[in-house]
Amino acid sequence: MIANPVSSPTAVARQWFLARSDLEALIQALRKSGRRVIGPTVREGAIVYDEIESAAALPVGMRDEQSAGRYRLTERSDDRAFGYTVGPTPWKRYTFPPDLPIATAHRVGSVGFDQAKLDAPALAFLGVRACEIAALAMQDRVLLGGQFTDEDFRARRKAAFIVAVQCTTSSSTCFCSSMGTGPEVRNGYDILLTEIDEGFVVQAGSPAGAAIVALLPTRRPTHAETGAAVDSVEAVRTQMGEPLPIAGIDERLKHQLDNPHWGVVAERCVECGNCTMSCPTCFCTSVTERSDMEGRTSVTERQWDSCFDVNFAKVAGGDFRSRPRDRYRQWLTHKFSSWMDQFGSFGCVGCGRCITWCPVHIDVREELQAIAPVIQPIERPVAVEPVAASPGSYSIARLASVREETEDTTTLCLTDLDPAFLAGRPGQFVMVALPAFPAVPISISRFRANGIDLTIRAVGPTSTALVNLHPGAKIGVRGPLGTFWPIEDAYGRHAVVVAGGVGLSPLHGLVEALVANRDRFESVSLFYGSRTPEDQLFREDLARWTAGKVIDVAVTVDRAGPEWKGRVGVVTTLFDMMSCDCSKVTAFVVGPERMMQASVQLLISKGVVPDRINVSMERHMECGIGLCGHCQTGPFFVCKDGPVFCLSELGDMYVREGI
Amino acid sequence: MDDHASVIAMLNHTWFGSELAPETQERLAKLGTIADFETDEIILREGEEALEMGILISGRLALRTLVPERGPVTILSVEPGDIFGWSAILANTKAQSTVVATEPGKALVIEGATLRAALKEDHALAASLYPRVLSAVGRRLRATRLQLLDLFAR
Ligand code: FES
Repeated sequence: MIANPVSSPTAVARQWFLARSDLEALIQALRKSGRRVIGPTVREGAIVYDEIESAAALPVGMRDEQSAGRYRLTERSDDRAFGYTVGPTPWKRYTFPPDLPIATAHRVGSVGFDQAKLDAPALAFLGVRACEIAALAMQDRVLLGGQFTDEDFRARRKAAFIVAVQCTTSSSTCFCSSMGTGPEVRNGYDILLTEIDEGFVVQAGSPAGAAIVALLPTRRPTHAETGAAVDSVEAVRTQMGEPLPIAGIDERLKHQLDNPHWGVVAERCVECGNCTMSCPTCFCTSVTERSDMEGRTSVTERQWDSCFDVNFAKVAGGDFRSRPRDRYRQWLTHKFSSWMDQFGSFGCVGCGRCITWCPVHIDVREELQAIAPVIQPIERPVAVEPVAASPGSYSIARLASVREETEDTTTLCLTDLDPAFLAGRPGQFVMVALPAFPAVPISISRFRANGIDLTIRAVGPTSTALVNLHPGAKIGVRGPLGTFWPIEDAYGRHAVVVAGGVGLSPLHGLVEALVANRDRFESVSLFYGSRTPEDQLFREDLARWTAGKVIDVAVTVDRAGPEWKGRVGVVTTLFDMMSCDCSKVTAFVVGPERMMQASVQLLISKGVVPDRINVSMERHMECGIGLCGHCQTGPFFVCKDGPVFCLSELGDMYVREGI
Repeated sequence: MDDHASVIAMLNHTWFGSELAPETQERLAKLGTIADFETDEIILREGEEALEMGILISGRLALRTLVPERGPVTILSVEPGDIFGWSAILANTKAQSTVVATEPGKALVIEGATLRAALKEDHALAASLYPRVLSAVGRRLRATRLQLLDLFAR
């Protein structure tokens, strides 16, 4: 690796002032030290880096205006020499030349290969910006940091003397502050200049730099001058605005390889390769052979290449990246994701050249946001503190109305409740008690503004007594209890609700929430199976959800008479022909245990991951708060660890016989 | 008259047809005809010989069986993408249920004898079609098993 110019404490601590008129002295001192000076100069309407012999060649009084696909030089109102940002030339042109003979071969007598001799000219780079220093360091890691190294690059890097210049202006294409590479130059230089109105604040960053500074007609800067130098760099940071949300983009991109937006960008991209050629970190090359007419001697030349070239990934049997979208994805994911895996940093310094020099105005910052936006952290609600949270303690609710759902299932609408009940979440339950009857757990099937609904099937003494109550009756309730449906896990995904029989009751509130927040999901489907058409719960709601077409509703019955024109068959037949991308499904399943098992098996076989399958379990409950031990299933208390579980959380415990 | 290309396109939109080899789709399109059903139209009667196999493209069919004292009971509905009358692949098979359209629909219908002859002579067709038919029948069998468990019984 190249040791960047080492800062000696004394050299770094010291600052000097160099008058604007004495910049010439710096250039001549560099030239006298045996170095050719490569610096900014105007060529064909752009500021490029080329050899300069005097300060007269510098772009004094010039500024560049840059935006996507646009570059213009205009005049400044002052005579600053470095009042521009970066032009089309990356410094790699001098450390990693675009054309380089690397070997010769001959077949005179016997066959022989000769590596090209290292010939690194002593160059002084004048006007290197913070992002460009970062780019040189990135190429150091790529070309010198591994097992195999590029010795030509090493020699050229070693022979390069860096005169860095702080940015005191920025372009709309600059985003070094987002990439953490600028705008301040912090290290990696021999001499650092900060241009202020009166001249330059000068710092040496290495003994070689200090030796050159010692030759210059400098003086100690005033406090005002050093203050102005600091302020002008800080102003650039402010000018660039809020940094992009780059943190974590490498991981986010890994999950976006199939994003259709790659195709959208590729439709605009003309694959000119300007972005890779002007990029200061791109390092891909190809070699060509030039041979004499007899084929006796040949020269191997290395040239910059671009992953946008149609032949770049071609092999004899075909092309690994045959589509433009593949090539664009390769470039972008390399810069912002796989480079991190390979070299421990991003492969982009935020200089903005790829934006400015793109003829079709593709702005990498916009594409990154479109392809791998920051996922806002999902706010997960926490369960409300239950009311009357000890066995034997109940809060009193009033029965507002009673609605018969089916022959044996009734919905009780409770009101005059403690507000905590209204703050419950779909999937939670309450313990319900009547004098002289044991308390029973009942799912909350609906949350209303002033109450909750409990949908009860009359199967035992308490539930039978409850469904026979009349409006106005008083009921003891404790809750809301247990875990709830993780609706947020389905944001941006296909939400699939599978309900069997009275299992629709604990899912009803979830479906209402999915309907109310429909925009947050890719799709919402409800698959509901019951024994007969007469056994369907919430028929009015089913009709409303179906008619509104806000969600996809498919219902089926196990058997029916000829008057039934709907589907007949078990609930699994509803979703085994599901055509959506099952890896993006979040499922919520409730029904008789055997039905849930069949549904879960089918969902998994279709590619839904267990982490995304949620079930609600039914167990014998007496206390509902983890004290009586009745509901235990393996390590879980279904009443407080459930009743809603993620399948992967249940693991082996799910539908295991005898547990 | 639907041309073969549009029949193949329809087949490609069905669960059953989309996974068939292109040559099989083409062969089926040639062997069959597109039939339209009206609501309540009876396509096959329980006890009669199953003469045709069909792939339902749109609409819904009910498979009904007569239960003494209860009358006709729908035991299964056939949804678009699924097959019906598959027993026509076997010669001399009687229909186990009555197939009736519960809404207007369309199906690709293939005469049993023609299909059997084609399967006998074209092994590539047989190799492509049989696994798909088995998969459709297996799917129905699994569902029937669950149905037998009467999961929602009180
Ligand atoms: S119901 Fe008592 S511990 Fe769960």
